[in-house]
Amino acid sequence: MTPVLECINLTHYYGKRKIYENLSFKVPHGRILGLLGKNGTGKTTTINILSGYLEPRSGECRIFGENINTISPATRRRIGLLLEGHVQYQFMNISQIEKFYSAFYPGQWRKEAFYELMNKLKVAPRQPILRMSNGQRSQVALGLILAQNPDLLILDDFSLGLDPGYRRLFSDYLRDYARAEEKTVFLTSHIIQDMERLIDDCIIMDYGRILTQQPVGTLLDSLRRYTCRVSGNHTPELPEEFCHPSITRGVMEFCSFLTKEKVEQILAEKKVNYSELTSERMNLEDAFIGLTGKY
Amino acid sequence: MTRISKILLCLTLVTLAIWQLPWCYAFLSTKAAPNRFIMYSSLLNDFIIMGYEEERGFIRQDVAGNLYTEEAVDSLLPMFYMRQLVANEAFPDTLFGVAVTPLDVQHTSFNLRIRPSAVNGPVTELYFLLESMPKRVDLQMPEDAFRFTGTGIEFITMETNSIDAAKSARFTQMLHDKGFAFPPRKVSGNPTTMKEYDNGYLLIDANGKVFHLKQTAGQPYVKALPLPENVEAEQIFLTEFRDRKLLGFLTDRRHRCFAILSDGSMTETGIPSYDPTTDDFTIIGNMFDMTVRISSPDATRYYGLSADDYSLLKSYEPAGESGQIPGLSFTSPYDRYVRPRF
Amino acid sequence: MIQAIFYKEWIKLRRYVLLALTVTVAITGYCMLRIDRAIELNGAAHIWEVMVMKDAIFIDSLKYVPLIAGILAALVQFMPEMQRKCLKLTLHLPCSQKKMLYIMSGTGALLLLLCFAADFAVMLAYLGSVLPRELVCNILSAAAPWYLAGLAAYLLTSWICLEPTWKMRIFNILIAAMIIRVYFLGHAPGAYNGFLPWLTLYTLALSLLSWLSVIRFKAGRQD
Repeated sequence: MTPVLECINLTHYYGKRKIYENLSFKVPHGRILGLLGKNGTGKTTTINILSGYLEPRSGECRIFGENINTISPATRRRIGLLLEGHVQYQFMNISQIEKFYSAFYPGQWRKEAFYELMNKLKVAPRQPILRMSNGQRSQVALGLILAQNPDLLILDDFSLGLDPGYRRLFSDYLRDYARAEEKTVFLTSHIIQDMERLIDDCIIMDYGRILTQQPVGTLLDSLRRYTCRVSGNHTPELPEEFCHPSITRGVMEFCSFLTKEKVEQILAEKKVNYSELTSERMNLEDAFIGLTGKY
Repeated sequence: MTRISKILLCLTLVTLAIWQLPWCYAFLSTKAAPNRFIMYSSLLNDFIIMGYEEERGFIRQDVAGNLYTEEAVDSLLPMFYMRQLVANEAFPDTLFGVAVTPLDVQHTSFNLRIRPSAVNGPVTELYFLLESMPKRVDLQMPEDAFRFTGTGIEFITMETNSIDAAKSARFTQMLHDKGFAFPPRKVSGNPTTMKEYDNGYLLIDANGKVFHLKQTAGQPYVKALPLPENVEAEQIFLTEFRDRKLLGFLTDRRHRCFAILSDGSMTETGIPSYDPTTDDFTIIGNMFDMTVRISSPDATRYYGLSADDYSLLKSYEPAGESGQIPGLSFTSPYDRYVRPRF
Repeated sequence: MIQAIFYKEWIKLRRYVLLALTVTVAITGYCMLRIDRAIELNGAAHIWEVMVMKDAIFIDSLKYVPLIAGILAALVQFMPEMQRKCLKLTLHLPCSQKKMLYIMSGTGALLLLLCFAADFAVMLAYLGSVLPRELVCNILSAAAPWYLAGLAAYLLTSWICLEPTWKMRIFNILIAAMIIRVYFLGHAPGAYNGFLPWLTLYTLALSLLSWLSVIRFKAGRQD
């Protein structure tokens, strides 16, 4: 089966600054994929490329098998796009914007879904979006996407500006909705806690490359945080599999996909004087920090 | 569509470049052209050229290069510098055996300039016919305007913006009776009160015949003016000079220039070629001679004409000035239209 | 779908259109009033004479009004699209992007032309009663290139507005200024008479330019 979304060998530079080279990934039907990365690693760049608003230096993006540059209006109908900052037409009010969008999605538009969300907003129907708070605006944008009822949702930083409660509510709603209706979702967020409840797969990006791409479950099952006591404050030379080792007050901390036995063996080989090696399972946020580093 | 859009943008850029770049170049590099004043002197039987020359200052000379003093020029052009000569008490009593007074000079001197832009401009086809025999001394502007239609002439009362049917019928009838074919090709008049007398209009009708139209005591005066043989009238200009010797000038298809005398007869002038659509025409005349300057796109030529029979006495063509930079332009000194031209 | 696009543009433009209509009709009315006053004070004959002999048209105050109206219309219509790159939403709608852009420009141009038509109607209604057709023609033909400039300014401003980078925007502004100059070169009523149909065609063709800006926008061009 063709993946719903596919990026093949994407390479992009801003001027001479490399964003990434040969980035490839697929989002299969019915999966929720989260793109995680620190600021400036190219999350929004990727969203821009795969929504057709940025020409990559090389490589291509395909959605429902169609190249994004020549994508047909009929296919665009199946894609819900949430722009960075939940941008929406600010000059319209709720009923105007609903009336406007509904004309483009005959047969699939779910007016009730939109108004159900809007009724919780406590805004006057004639209040222009311009005069709403950031959170309210975000909810209008999300409501429109849900009303559009698309097969693929592309959400850029969906949790931006949302209250913690609503963020949780929305994550749960989105997950249940996507599961129930077999929707495919590609999203980015800088709040990783929410992602853990929501996404099936994750791609963790670092500057210029993908650190890992796998189901969240597998990632959290295999990645471990290790701590041990060491003498001295000098971080020993360790292979790449030991991610971001750091020593604080005689305790060395790092994370790794390696098993405890393998870690012990390598530490012994490297003649590291250590004691009390412990390994722990982490949540997604810790895993992300462990893989990308604190800085 | 992308390609068409790009082509449009490229064409626009190219057009703007060939329009603006020569203009910029000309704006930055052109020096003021030497401004010369050239007059024919019957006394010298030559042209006197006056103007600044680089390193030489203000120069007065003839075609051969002989220099003259300011006083000498005054007396060589006594008609033109009459006031100066009178002030110096140097104005002659007779010239060429004819007694002249400053008043005679005033009454017989004239000048006229016809720019190509006046001929080639959009024309408001609405005219004013003054009363040529006013009851009072001063001329007065009429209370109606007139226009030509395909079948007649219409007088419109301006205050009410309505057609004066009776007057229109009277004039149409008269024009018809004199063999005038509507509508006219050319209409020339000077509807202003800033002149000594009114001669109405000179018209070239639909068949190329020439007519003189004026209003005397409220009644139409129409006279057909016979053209010399083999002359196809092209442009016509009513003059109304003080001396009343002339009705106007006429040019034909072969760019010959004719003087229309007050009796309606036409006599060919000694000007070899004058095309009103491209040439700037200036005439400065007096009771003895006339200086005609014809400035065409390629050269400027001067002609001295006899005041008796308009025959050519002498001509002069100064060395040509620098040419124009090729480019695109939307306006032109030769007409008043806006359109692209190279 | 077409109706929906029209609806969106109408929401953006409606207040402006009302304002533009009021202001342009008011200025046109003021010009007509001036002619009326002049006729009252100096007599119709004098007004006719200066119009025929001095090429007076009495509507000089209107000269740059359509131009400004056109520029503002495009700004009012396309600035909200460029604010936080809202245009992405528009281009993402399931409708041909070219068609979308053309309906947007078409709506703006149509509303602008409606304002202009109202001005012409005011002029025709008054002038026809006090002036002969030749002079009415003089006034309208002098105004025609100004109004065409208004349409051109609208289309060129859309092109400039939709352009994603400031460097190119400044270049476009310079080009647009030179293009607009062509509409203001005449000094006599009727000076554009022969050229006007061609200039009109060119003006309509200017609507093609905004698509070039959209292409650059889609390619994600940045300063």
